[in-house]
Amino acid sequence: MHGQHQAAVVLERRPLTERICEITLGKADGTALPAPRAGAHVELRFGGKDGRFLRHYSLVGPLDLTSSHEPFWRIAVQRENRRRGSDYIHRHVTPGTSVLISPALSPFRLTADDGPVLLIAGGIGITAILPILRACVMRRREVRMLYIGRSRAAMAYVEDVEALGGDAVTVHDATSSRGRPDLAALLARQPADTTAYVCGPPALIEGTRQAARRLGWPAARVRHEVFNPAHKEEDQAVTVHTRGTSVHVSPGHTLLEALETAGVETFSDCRRGECGLCITPISNVEGDIDHRDRFLTADQKRGNRQIALCCSRPRSTSIELDL
Amino acid sequence: MPHANQAIPLDEEAIFDAMPMEEEGQFANHATPLIRNCWYVCARRDEVGRTPISRRLLDTDVVMYRTRDGRPVAMHNRCPHRAFPLAKGHVEGDRLVCGYHGMQFEPDGLCAHLPAISHVPANACVQTYPIADRGPLTWIWMGDANLADEALIPELPWLASSEWGSVTGDFHIKADYVSMHENLIDQTHFPFLHPGTVGTPEYARASMNATTEGDQVLIHRRLDNAPPPGIYGKPADIMHKNVDRTSEARFVSPAVHMAHARIFDPQPEPGKPSVYGYYITHCFTPESNHSIHYWWFNSRDYGIDDTDIDAFMYEASMQAYYEDVEALEWIMDVVLTDNEAQQFELSFAPDKPGLMARRIMHRLAMAEHG
Repeated sequence: MHGQHQAAVVLERRPLTERICEITLGKADGTALPAPRAGAHVELRFGGKDGRFLRHYSLVGPLDLTSSHEPFWRIAVQRENRRRGSDYIHRHVTPGTSVLISPALSPFRLTADDGPVLLIAGGIGITAILPILRACVMRRREVRMLYIGRSRAAMAYVEDVEALGGDAVTVHDATSSRGRPDLAALLARQPADTTAYVCGPPALIEGTRQAARRLGWPAARVRHEVFNPAHKEEDQAVTVHTRGTSVHVSPGHTLLEALETAGVETFSDCRRGECGLCITPISNVEGDIDHRDRFLTADQKRGNRQIALCCSRPRSTSIELDL
Repeated sequence: MPHANQAIPLDEEAIFDAMPMEEEGQFANHATPLIRNCWYVCARRDEVGRTPISRRLLDTDVVMYRTRDGRPVAMHNRCPHRAFPLAKGHVEGDRLVCGYHGMQFEPDGLCAHLPAISHVPANACVQTYPIADRGPLTWIWMGDANLADEALIPELPWLASSEWGSVTGDFHIKADYVSMHENLIDQTHFPFLHPGTVGTPEYARASMNATTEGDQVLIHRRLDNAPPPGIYGKPADIMHKNVDRTSEARFVSPAVHMAHARIFDPQPEPGKPSVYGYYITHCFTPESNHSIHYWWFNSRDYGIDDTDIDAFMYEASMQAYYEDVEALEWIMDVVLTDNEAQQFELSFAPDKPGLMARRIMHRLAMAEHG
């Protein structure tokens, strides 16, 4: 993805819930953006001339069945508690703000067959699930959907989803229904050969996968959107020592971003722990590493001799790298 | 979709009335963005098999193959890793294997195996396109996949029917699909560009009626008591007599033009039919704004197993279509290279059916590209 970003501009911004705002993005030259495939996401860089923050957002797409093509891209951003990327967007991004966007990527997509579809969205995960629901309705595929949230008022697009899916949609509001939905019972009710698509907090994804495994579903019958695992609430500042210099990494940034900003030459591509290009040998670290990538094997992770700069962090506040 | 039925009688006097150009840019031309939300022919059905093939369609290189159970698959012919053309790889089971580093892709475009690393990266995927077989042809949808309803594939039942005999051929043409549509729906050029085959001097004056049906344009023509054109008269062996003739030409979609002709012999000889039916099917798909893939079929409802008629129909069709191909390529060359004067085109009343089709294409293109 590196070097393939293009200049874009924020067109509009509107609040969806207390913590979630919707932002529409257009190309800076005013030409139309291509319609993204259902479930696609974009890598967004924002917060300065070269983009100080990098985040992945699902492309929500049109909200109803009548507007077949929008020349812009729609994302929804949930504000987190600490002053990080999403907080920056909520504070500073307004119509006219310049950002950089990657081409749309769509690894989260409908199966090629016509089998039944079960959609499970948790919280802000609705942004990846809504376009899949819309695609199922338009393609007349058999679909059911569960949308889980803390309270109805906190659930973005809840009315749009109900209008799109009608009776196929069940809204589970944890405040009024006092608790979690029974995923195992939900999966057990589905017709044979159903594929489940889930997007939401890691616990929801893992819960769905476990329930499916217990019911004997093949692993390929649960598809989930891989979130960028680079950022956690508890992240602390880290100092990276390499080649005789020290680089400060603030909690909202990755090691990779801080090294790039400091002018240290690195390799990277996917920036979400997939490709392995940014894996770097560790010279010295106190304690172990919170490995968040999917590239290293479990043994390699236990060895703590290498780290994926794009997403992983030491649990301590200092690390020495052999770049 | 509202049906705007609009009858436009055309007569000789109207020929000199210039077609009013209401607003500039209302008609599609070679520079209009290609219409993607449409089923286009991508191959003859038997071309797509277990060995991947590639073809450039609407500016995109597409690779096509079949799974073990015969389902067609279409993907972007470009490995997301280092742009290796996937059609240069091979098919293993249902997967397409890149010939450069062995990345394997499932029919839904997701990477299933990457030999160089120990896991499958979730961001490795290839764009796929809806694809479906109908009769002797395979169709593809290069636009918004949510709109790819297979019920929208044009019905061409005579191509797969045992009651009809067909000859078929194909061309790659360095011309735009808009001009091709205008050429096919414009019958006033027949006597001049195709004097030996489809055009007769009498036919240029045949009554004509053009209407729109939704996003289709339909022309009816009728000519009574005149000699048949060679392409229909010779194989039926009725060149020596006068016949009645009706024809219907239809702009079906940006991908298809078809014609239905019937020759009525008022005094058939014993044992011979009194009506001869023909369907002429033109399927074409833009390769780019300036080039097309073209498949044609000439189908008849008599002498369907007669190989002499096949040979004649093939030769006569090829001659006529070659004349069109040559003309369209000359025109494209002028349009693209002649910058001496401002580009312009005059239109006259008989051009109205072609302009109706171009107006529909313009509207469809603008609806997609805003």
